[in-house]
Formats: sequence, structure tokens, C-alpha cells
Amino acid sequence: MRRYAFWLWLLLAAGLLALAPLALNEYWMRVASSVLMWVAMAEALNIILGFAGYPAFGNGAFLGVGGYTVAVLMNHGVGFWPALAASVLVPGLIATAIGVPVLRLRGHYFAIATIGVNFALLSLIQNLGFTGGGSGLSVPLYPGSAEALSVMFFYLFAGLAVVSVVVTQLVRGSRLGYAIRAIQASEEAAAVMGINGTLYKVAAWVISAMLTGAAGGIYAYWNGYIEPVSMFDIVTSVKLFIMVLIGGAGTVVGPILGAVGIEVVSEYLWSTLGGLHLAVLGLIILLAGVFVPRGLLSLRFWRRRGRGRDGAPTNRTWGVDEGGGAS
Amino acid sequence: MTSLLEISRVSRDFGGVRALDDVSFSVAEGEMVGLIGPNGAGKTTLMNVICGLTRATEGAVVFAGSSLNNVRPNAINHLGIARTFQIPKPFVGMTVWENVLTASLFGGRRGRSADARRAAVERALEIVGLSPRARVAAESLNVAGRKRLELARALAMEPRLLLLDEVMAGLNLKEVEAVMGVVERVNGEGVTVLLIEHVMKAVMGLARRIVVLHHGQVLAEGTPEDVTRDPDVIAAYLGSGIAYEGQDAR
Amino acid sequence: MFLLQQLINGVMLGGVYGVAAVGFALVWGVMNEINIAHAAFMVIGAYTSFFLFTTLHVDPLASIVVAMAVAFALAYPIQRYLLNRALPHGLVITLATTFGLNLFLENVVRRVFSSDYRSISPSYITTSFSLGPLTLPLVPLLVFVLAVAFTAGLHLFLERSSLGLAIRATALNRVAARIVGIPVQVVYAFTFALGAALAAASGTMIGTLQSIYPGMGDAFLTKVFVITALGGFGSIPGALVGSLILSLVEVLSATYLSPNIVDFVAFSLLVVVLVVRPQGLFGKRFYGEEASA
Repeated sequence: MRRYAFWLWLLLAAGLLALAPLALNEYWMRVASSVLMWVAMAEALNIILGFAGYPAFGNGAFLGVGGYTVAVLMNHGVGFWPALAASVLVPGLIATAIGVPVLRLRGHYFAIATIGVNFALLSLIQNLGFTGGGSGLSVPLYPGSAEALSVMFFYLFAGLAVVSVVVTQLVRGSRLGYAIRAIQASEEAAAVMGINGTLYKVAAWVISAMLTGAAGGIYAYWNGYIEPVSMFDIVTSVKLFIMVLIGGAGTVVGPILGAVGIEVVSEYLWSTLGGLHLAVLGLIILLAGVFVPRGLLSLRFWRRRGRGRDGAPTNRTWGVDEGGGAS
Repeated sequence: MTSLLEISRVSRDFGGVRALDDVSFSVAEGEMVGLIGPNGAGKTTLMNVICGLTRATEGAVVFAGSSLNNVRPNAINHLGIARTFQIPKPFVGMTVWENVLTASLFGGRRGRSADARRAAVERALEIVGLSPRARVAAESLNVAGRKRLELARALAMEPRLLLLDEVMAGLNLKEVEAVMGVVERVNGEGVTVLLIEHVMKAVMGLARRIVVLHHGQVLAEGTPEDVTRDPDVIAAYLGSGIAYEGQDAR
Repeated sequence: MFLLQQLINGVMLGGVYGVAAVGFALVWGVMNEINIAHAAFMVIGAYTSFFLFTTLHVDPLASIVVAMAVAFALAYPIQRYLLNRALPHGLVITLATTFGLNLFLENVVRRVFSSDYRSISPSYITTSFSLGPLTLPLVPLLVFVLAVAFTAGLHLFLERSSLGLAIRATALNRVAARIVGIPVQVVYAFTFALGAALAAASGTMIGTLQSIYPGMGDAFLTKVFVITALGGFGSIPGALVGSLILSLVEVLSATYLSPNIVDFVAFSLLVVVLVVRPQGLFGKRFYGEEASA
């Protein structure tokens, strides 16, 4: 998308979002807030998954880290805004610490390692005293009317979604963006061209962690109560993954479509089916993976870009580098 | 002329296979040296060792006085070494121009100014003849185009030492001549070149000195004339009675 | 002595983990497919036996065969007509796809049987033997013997039968297998179904040792992940060794640290193993992956 076109669309979207509370009732604002939260997280995941090509299957864990940071801090008297700032930093620190060893792994191994991290954090939180353990933690309630709450959090999530999209666009054209896109194409070529792989991969993951953490922080305050199993739910991570895949990994707009699509469908299923909504969601994911694995947006994208060598469609298998010849 | 690249007793094992066995030779600043040998001789492995993608099991590689042992590939690149890959690895998802820009932005010696880096991109594209196709998606290039892109990326880094891995493979006669011209020009500007090639016309035409590898060992070393007359080399690689154009083509 | 008892418990549990892990490792090794739905098949196995036990009073250890058959019959067409299409798009797509399948199957079970904990308790559930100062409860012992029998059976099948040979050939080199006329799509489907059957068997076995609930598969799958990482992805002997190691680690950390910390230890172990030695103890390089130059 041309640069100016992007900013134009963004301005339009921001304007609509700013005016939205006038038109929406509380129920729809709640739904919209939820959708915007997912948009923010999906865009964040896109930076490490779509641009760098590293399949972070456990990114939902950062939602939990952010949420718990806010919850714990606020329970100790810290105000929301500083707590929110912390919920951005703490996941970033964790991603840095874990990222350095784990981002050395390619594709499959990396995916599994992130799943392991997701579950390890879950059981850690379940067992630490100050996090309330398995029974969860309640967060000081927002002091205001229900309507004010509704509007305030809508704006918070909308703001985060906009920030996420802007960050993604900026990253794409930045030095970091070139580095991780090169890394995705060929880590070896990137290395011999002076790119410090670890540095840029970690940076990408840290950014995605920070944005996801912020979503968690806002969510904790919004919901008033968090507990480990739902905050570190692997389904969250996988949903995010599917959103980016279906929407089109590596594009700026793709994750937005994916997030909106999946979350709207999810909401609809939940309201009509109640108990079976997860089953149907599972079925959708299954069929999407089988029949539309390249994602809807990327189908068009691929045809526009042209085909790879030998006329075969460009093969995106995360983390598998081509072998060299024998000489 | 001082020795720019010094390879001393380098060996590399892969499990039970000795891909490189006690390889030693040096390349002087400004030289154009050819590295030939049958498939599996270890040529690409040697290149991988030099540029840091593989570690030598034994031995040392010294570049402009600094040891390259255990140095990461991106750091080696920053010393002034650039390489191309035998099977081109374009940055899929970017245009030709973006590919070369990436190389220039991140690669090559430290201390190049932003302006110099940008200028190097245009220059590299112009030298290899890809300027008209700069805005094209890298994926859509054919083999010859990809090879040129490999070369352009390497050149945009303004290296001191250029490692070329079978940059002529798969090209037709005209394309080979074009690339030969580029390599000659680059070497003429002072860039030291070490090239792996199977295309005899190119090697004999370009290289003033040739190193022959066989089974990971240096089989022979010398001028193209010497090497092509060496009976061991003929037996292992060239075959007797082969008509090469080297001597006359220069 | 207490320690020895714990270790014995650990080994017996390890046998069951082994059956679960072996099926998982097989599918991974042969077709480079991480089957998250392995969890669902465990659950299906457990609930099939539960159903047969409560309605027809069939002994659980006997109904294992039925459970396996049900899982096999369900799994074969799923792989053959659906999952096979996702395979060429890479491991990550298949991960997501099998996740969806898992979500679907588990929630169907949840709908039918509710989330309540159930148990399968045949009359002999409390019988145990004494061996000096050690107690060997009958059911876990039987289960362990069965587990060994199953893994030995699998090994024989893979080594001796022609279908087993076809499977091994496909695992080693898919393209070459096709060239010699092996119907790779069918082999994949069969392997997946076999893995599902083994998952179901382990589900039944676990069902005799602990209460069952629809989420149990997920809990066990996470252990299976750790086991395959330890033992090496795609390696069957690795899965066995890994099972033993994990069950011992679990028993020891439960005894010496705290029962709650067991999961955390298991997952940290997973991450550490991946970082330090991704191919585990016996793992071959990832299917199709080139050795680094």
C-alpha cells in the first residue's frame, strides 16, 4: 500500500473510532472493544510471525504477563497509568531474556519452545503467592459509571489498536523491518550481509511482546478480575496465530481483517451456540487450515507478486532454509 | 603485494566426512584467484568457513591481519568480505532495489556514510545491469537475473574481498561474458576476488592464479597454464584431451 | 525405601506416557505433522472405555481394543481427505489445523459427556501385591505390562510387516517412496490412524489410573511434547526413554520440591532441551531439513 494511502486510511479509521461511542450501545461497544484488543494483538504477532517469519505460537502468554503486571501493581496501590506502562515494559524484558536463547531456534523448534514458555509461565503464575495462585486476582475497579467505563475502555483499546497498526507500518519501512524481512527470506544471506540476526529478531519479538502486554494490562483493569488459565490460555495464542495466517501474514492490513473476522465469528458463535462455540471454532480453524492455508488476503497478494522459480507458488514454510549445493 | 587472505591448514569435519583437509593458500590484495575442483571437493565449504557460516575444525583464516576464527558472519562481513551464493538467495518479498539497499545498509565496512551507502546501491545496480529492473519483485527474476542480484548485493557493500560461488553457473555464453566483464571491472578497481567456478572459460579467462581442490585437499596451485597441464589435475578433474579456451581467450 | 517406591510408581507411569508419546512421535517422524488432536484421541479412547464400562460392564483393559478401533476409524478419513491437504504447506499450518481438529473433537465430547470428572473403576481396582517392603498395585502393573506389549508390538509391526516397511520408507524419504510405488497418501492416513489408536489406548489406560475429564488430553499432550523433545522428535526409542525420564523427573520433583511445581519443571525442561539440544537424545534431523553446512 502506498505510504500516503495508508495514513489517509488510518486517519479515517481513527476518526470513525473516535466517533463510534456516539453510535454504539453498551453491548456493541463491549464487542468492539474486544475486537480492537484482538486487532492490537494480531498486529503485534504479525511483526514476529509475518515479517520475521518466526512462528511464535505462544505469544498469548504476554497478554497474561501484562495483565498480571497491572493487577499486582494496582493491588499494591499503584495507579493505572504507571501500571499500564509497566505492563508494556515487563513483557518486553521477559521477551528479551527468553528471546536471546530461544530465537536461535528455527521454525518448528521455535514454535514448540514458545508453547513451552506459554505453559511454563502459566504454571509459574499458578504457583506464585502474590499472583493469587490458581484462584486469580481481582483488580481495583474503575471508579466511574458503567457508561464511562464502557467508553473509556473502548478508547483505550481503540488507541492501542491504532498504535499497533502504526508501529507495524513504521517497522516495515524501517531498518528493523528490512533486517527481519531479510532474515525471513534467508537467514544465511542476511548474516553474510552484515545483519546481526539475534539483535533484530529479539527486537521484533520484544515489540510484539510489549504491545500484547499492553492489551493484557488494559484487559485486566477492564475486566476487574483475572485468573491464570484464561490469561495464559493457549487458545488465545493459537487464535492470534490463525488470525494472522488467515488475514495474511506479513501485510499490515491482513491481521486486522483476520482479527475482525475471527473475533466477530467467535462472538456470533458464542451468542448463538453457547456450549458448542469452541467446537465450531475448532471446525472453522480446521477447515481454514485445510482449504485456505495461505490466508485470504495473501491469496491475492501472491498472485499479484507473481510466482517463484519453476512456476511453483512461493513456498512459505517457516524456518526451513534452503540447502546449499555441494562443491 | 601483501597477503590479504591467509588460509592456514584449515580442516573441516562433518561427522565422519573430512570436507576440508589441511588446506593452505593465500590471496594477495588485488589478486583474482580461481578455486576449482570436482563436485564435493570442498570449495563451497571453504567459502563457508571464510565467511563464517561454518567453523573450521582445525586451522586458521586470517584476513588483513585479523583472525576470522569464531567470528560471526555479520562481523566478518563488516571487515570487508562479501560473498555470493551458488544457489542465489534473494530476499523474497522485496524488490531488486530493496535487496541491494538492504545489503548496502547493513553490510560492508563500518563507517560508510548514509549517502555513500545509498550511492553504492545505484552504482551496484548499474554495474550489473539491473537498473532497469530495480523496482521489480526479486522473486520474479530468472536465474541470470538472480545471479546478477547476488553480485549487485555483494558489490553494494564495497568489499575488499569478494567471494564468488559459481556465479556463472546456469548462464548462457553471452551472459557469462557479461558477468566476466563485470568481475574484471571490479577487480580492476582494486577489489580482491576469489571465485569458485566450473565454467572453464570464465576461470581461465579471469584468474591469474588457480587453486585446485580435490577431496578437501589442495591438489595443485599455480597459473592457469601450469594447472591445466598438471597431470594430477587432469586425472582428477579436467580429463586428458579436453580443449579449454583459457590460454587463447584472454 | 520410600524413594524406591516412588521410582517404581514413576516407571509404571512412564510406561503409559510411553504409549501416548510413541504414537505422537510416529506421526511426527513419518509425516512431519505435529498432531495436537492426539489429545482428543486420548480423550475419545478414555470415554469409549468409560461408556462401554458403564453401559455394558466391559472390562476397561479389554475395551482398549474397541477404543483403538473407534479412534482408528475416525482418524483415517480425517487424515486421508482433510489433513493430507494441509501437509504440503508446512509444519506450522498442520499445527494450527490439528489444533482446530482437537478443539472440535474435545468440545464434542464435552457436550456429550459434560465436563464432570468420571472414573472407570473395575472391581479389582484396589488390588495390589507386596514385594518385600514395596507395594505394586495391580492395575498400574497390568497397564505397564500392556504398555510394554504395545510398544513391542509396534516395533515388530514396523520392522517386520510390509506395511511397516512402507511407513519407514516414507519417513526416510518421501519422494523416493513415491517413486517405488508406495501410496504415500495412504501411508500417511494409516500412520495417523495408528497414532490415534495408540493415543486412544493410552487414554483408556490412564482412565483406569485416574479420573477422566474432557481436558485430560490437553494435560497429557503437554507432557507428550516434553517427552518427544527429550527423546528426539520422530524417534520411537526416544519417546520411550523420554517417557521414563519425564516420569522420574515428575516423581522426584513432586517428592522433593512440591507437587504443584511439577508442570513448571516439565515445561522449563522442554525449553531448555530445545535450546541446548533440539534433536533430543535420539532424534534425527527434522524431516527434510538439511544438516547445516
